[in-house]
Amino acid sequence: MSEDEIRLENEIVARAKRDPKAFAGLYEKYFDRIYFYLLRHTDEEETAGDLCSQTFVNALNHLNRYEFRGLPFSAWLYKIAANEVNKYYRKNKGKKVFSLEEAKVRELVDQNHLMTDMGWDEELIERLLAYLKELPTDMIQVLELRFFEDKDFAEIAFILDMTESGAKMRTYRALDRLRKNFNVKEKYE
Amino acid sequence: MSKHEIRLRRQRLTARGSDRFRNYGAVLQRHERDMRLKKILRVFTLFLVILIILVLIVIVVRIEKKAVKKNTTTSYTLSQKVAS
Repeated sequence: MSEDEIRLENEIVARAKRDPKAFAGLYEKYFDRIYFYLLRHTDEEETAGDLCSQTFVNALNHLNRYEFRGLPFSAWLYKIAANEVNKYYRKNKGKKVFSLEEAKVRELVDQNHLMTDMGWDEELIERLLAYLKELPTDMIQVLELRFFEDKDFAEIAFILDMTESGAKMRTYRALDRLRKNFNVKEKYE
Repeated sequence: MSKHEIRLRRQRLTARGSDRFRNYGAVLQRHERDMRLKKILRVFTLFLVILIILVLIVIVVRIEKKAVKKNTTTSYTLSQKVAS
């Protein structure tokens, strides 16, 4: 995101603090991203829709508390959405779900050279899913934000309430584990 | 047993699926309702605090009055005894 875009976004936020109708622009801009993020975490369209509305209502209700910290406004929305997901699972006491798109999983494999000489097939997908299932939930969370939402480490740290070095370490550890399971020696760049 | 489940979604996520949930009017309405409730709660809390302070003042004044009355009665009895 360019500096001009961030500045423009901050102007909209400042206007929305006085007049909530001005928030419509940000709602339109980020609705899909937040909805898809919630859909990946619930795998239910209705639930994702409800949580998405709640996320934007919460954002509007607490807009006066929002402070610019050098991150795009979307990071704040993701943080609220992540809290909504946690609340949802606490309330329903169910297993956390990560519904990943096949195309994005392929990207993750290609980017991190996890592909072995056997090529991309159903067996590889099954293996990868099995390994992802064995990873701790907090590692899946950082991988999901890094590779499925294309967030940088500063944003991941802000969203998951941790330090930037903690987010990096968690990502590298998760990738190392995956690589070990796939017997790949190349390092993550 | 792992604490999460991984599912694979074969189709890409498209804007079409999200459109039926997109409704800024409803979000704005909920926000306004929440703000109204917040305002009512704030006024009620303020009223409650004022009420508690008033009740405390009344209690303190009554206790003080009682103490003053007791003092006057004691000193009156003493002066009567001295006079007799």
